[in-house]
Amino acid sequence: MKSDLSHFVTVRGLKKTFGSNTVLNSISLSVEEGHTLALLGPSGCGKTTMLRCLAGLETADEGYIEIAGKVVFDSAKKINLMPEARQLGIVFQSYAVWPHMTVAENVGFPLKVRRMSRADQEKRVRVMLDVVGLGAWYDRPATQLSGGQQQRVALARALVHEPRLVLFDEALSNLDAQLREQMRMELSMLQDRLGFTAIYVTHDQSEAFGLADRIIILNKGHIDTEGAPREVFDRPQTPFVAQFLGLNVQEGEVLETAQAAPHGAPQDAAGWARVALPGGTAIWGKLGHDRPLKAGGKALICIRKEHVKVSAREAMAGRQAFPAVVRAASFQGLSEEYIIDLAGIELRAIQPSAGVRSGDAVAVDLAPEQCIVLARDA
Amino acid sequence: MSTGSDTLAKAGAQGSQSQAAPGAPPSHSRFWEKGLPVLGVAAGILLVLGPFLATLIRSLLYWQPDGSVVVTLQNFTALLGDARFLDAARNTLLCGAGATIVSCVLGVTLAWIVSRTDVPGRSWFEVGNLIPFFLSPYVGAEAWRYLAAPGSGIIHKMAQDYLGLKLPFLNIYGLAGVIWVLAIFYTPYVYLFVISPLRRMDSALEDAARVHGASFGYTVRHITLPLLMPALLSAAMIVFVTSAGLFDVPFALAATHGIRTIPTEIYSSLQYPADFGRAAAFGMLVLCLTVTLTLWQRHYLASRRFETVSGKGYRPRVMKLSLGGRIVALTVEVLYIGLGVVLPIIALLMVSLQSIWTGKFRSGYATIENFTYVLLNYDLTRTAIVNSLFLAVVGASIGVGLSVLQSYYLNRSTSKARGFMEAVLSLPIGIPGIILGLGFLILSVRTPLYSTIWVILIAYVAHFFPLAIRTVTAMFVAINPELEQSARASGASWWQTMRHVLLPLLKPALIAAWLMLFVIFVRELGSTILLYAQGTETISVALVALGDRNFGFVAALAVIQLVLLLSAFALFRLTRASLVQD
Repeated sequence: MKSDLSHFVTVRGLKKTFGSNTVLNSISLSVEEGHTLALLGPSGCGKTTMLRCLAGLETADEGYIEIAGKVVFDSAKKINLMPEARQLGIVFQSYAVWPHMTVAENVGFPLKVRRMSRADQEKRVRVMLDVVGLGAWYDRPATQLSGGQQQRVALARALVHEPRLVLFDEALSNLDAQLREQMRMELSMLQDRLGFTAIYVTHDQSEAFGLADRIIILNKGHIDTEGAPREVFDRPQTPFVAQFLGLNVQEGEVLETAQAAPHGAPQDAAGWARVALPGGTAIWGKLGHDRPLKAGGKALICIRKEHVKVSAREAMAGRQAFPAVVRAASFQGLSEEYIIDLAGIELRAIQPSAGVRSGDAVAVDLAPEQCIVLARDA
Repeated sequence: MSTGSDTLAKAGAQGSQSQAAPGAPPSHSRFWEKGLPVLGVAAGILLVLGPFLATLIRSLLYWQPDGSVVVTLQNFTALLGDARFLDAARNTLLCGAGATIVSCVLGVTLAWIVSRTDVPGRSWFEVGNLIPFFLSPYVGAEAWRYLAAPGSGIIHKMAQDYLGLKLPFLNIYGLAGVIWVLAIFYTPYVYLFVISPLRRMDSALEDAARVHGASFGYTVRHITLPLLMPALLSAAMIVFVTSAGLFDVPFALAATHGIRTIPTEIYSSLQYPADFGRAAAFGMLVLCLTVTLTLWQRHYLASRRFETVSGKGYRPRVMKLSLGGRIVALTVEVLYIGLGVVLPIIALLMVSLQSIWTGKFRSGYATIENFTYVLLNYDLTRTAIVNSLFLAVVGASIGVGLSVLQSYYLNRSTSKARGFMEAVLSLPIGIPGIILGLGFLILSVRTPLYSTIWVILIAYVAHFFPLAIRTVTAMFVAINPELEQSARASGASWWQTMRHVLLPLLKPALIAAWLMLFVIFVRELGSTILLYAQGTETISVALVALGDRNFGFVAALAVIQLVLLLSAFALFRLTRASLVQD
């Protein structure tokens, strides 16, 4: 028995090049039945190509794809199933709701091509439209729908034939922020209820973190990081992920390493290191990966904006605090974003308004357990 | 021109009311801003209404044997009771329907090959498919006579000499021949109409169908074609109306063999002894039909505008063809461009370079005499070339100027009459040239304009200014009015805004429209054939007048016309002007 059999979706060694541009460089991944995987990355990282290869809309140069126990692509055995033979559902960023059909015709399409009887088709379509909250729109032309409603039609169409796997290509990106939030919640609940396996492709971290059981971050056709959402979020393991997630990333030199937590930080890390930044500031942080660091080596220190605490200079009583100057402050409603000059290093901070203004001398408090140190070459 | 000056006066009055106390002189700037576009629209409406009313009135007049005139429907009843009319109507419908079907199939196939497959040489075919759009249907018919006239055609002789084959079924005379030549010329219309929706269609619309279980063929039938339908139907409409009304091809290939069609019947009604009543009744019936169809098409389109463009970064995917697919696609392309462009041109060159035409090229008869004679020594053809160039250059300039004013009105005015004006101004496209020519003939008889080149010029502009409006309006829509408003806010007058902002932005469309009108005017035959007189012949008229008297002269003149048309095409490419229809 191969261990692959336990996976619902298995991808091995998938390669795809467009001309001299390698879009997918030997990608392997797997998804368990009923689970949700998010492929996250900046545009051009290969995530959409990956999804299109899964759907059969693009043919990979090399590799192996198995979905629900059926090999749909195998370059070695020259197997390449047509998209329609892969039994999938898909939701596109542009919704791709057919403008020449009614809502019911759109949703019923997968059943119609499967030659289901008209009566059964109608029953299933009605149930599905009720599920997505469009029951009253059955006979309406699809062009009369708003963006959010079209999104629901696309979703109903992708689920109506109970596919083994549903693919989402930037499915929520075209919606406005509020609607996106709502759809994300609804999708989560729907998936719990219907139990389909899903793969989301997105460049939006909150979408990925909110929907997925597992996240794969792609960078230039490689898998950069793979893990559970919390793991990936709390402990970025590579400089790319740190940058992609919007952390402050600064390069410096490792001064010393330690096993014991400095400044009374909680004892939960593989190790600690003190890193000297170009301006002379030396910061203690915890190691982001299990590999030990050597003193004298280059390292990156990554700090989430929310973890850079700005306060008035008098209150400088933190465990690891430094004098700094506010360069700019921008009011954002509940929070305020600051650009801080820490001895020539620029840090960004987001926090509830601290009542400081551009030019003010402040204290910056950086908790060691919230400063992640990564080897430069990682 | 009283209507025109009335409108002007009204516009001026409006301008003064909106700004200043009564009695103050009208603001110069407002006067031109409002008045000029309205003047352009008024001129357009006169150009549409004039010949229409003339034809209508003339069709109701009947000269009784005693010389008195009565208003009656007699012309219509006589026509409808005439078996020749029914025969002509049937043949014309057949030609129109046949040409429409063939050019729709060909146009969609070619557009699909070019926009959606990786056939080698795509960029060449993309250009090549358009060439027939620039050629003359009359000359095309002429060239196909050299190629496939029964017994004497080049193809027949070649098949006989090299393959020992007789091809008795290959006969360009008759309805099939007319349909074939019409289809070659109208395929690019369909191609232009469908290529842009094919290019811009969100690929996700088709991908979604595939992933959800539809095969390639099912997707084409249920998703791609229905989404193309609005564009395809409007193309089919225009092709049907214009190809059925085209005089050139049935005149060359059917009338000579006793096959009647409506355009050629109208023409023969006006040959000695001329029966204007009959021709006008003919014209009225056709006008009613084309106007109804044109209006119906506008209505249909207005209710069916699919938005197939969505999202960012979605482009139709190019299909990787298999070897077999490549061969099929290449064959279709090579056959279309070969039969539509290359073979006819070769035939014309062969005939024009022979002192005596014997059905094949003989080096013993090779000569350039025909060209020197037609260009330098023969009065008829020399006049014709000069007249055609004059009409094309002046006509295109007037047409484009008029269309700028009209498009300005249609896109920038806030008048409630805009929609109505737009509908009226779009009507002439569907009206057959011969019927418009008839209208202007009736209008100009007994005026100093009669049998001058000016009446031909007016008829040309009246027939084709809507094409220029369409091209210019397409560009207008893409220009944000704020660009002009910022110029005005910066202190520029309306004139300065036009000169420095709007016209430079419109320039690509103006060039495209000018070249299109130039091409159409160089080859026009339908209305010219009724309006020309001695001294005002055009190239196309000279081609008809020379007829079968001398193959060499006809072919040489046709080649000269071809050179003019192909130079316009080359300019099109050089200026990167866009022809795409919406």
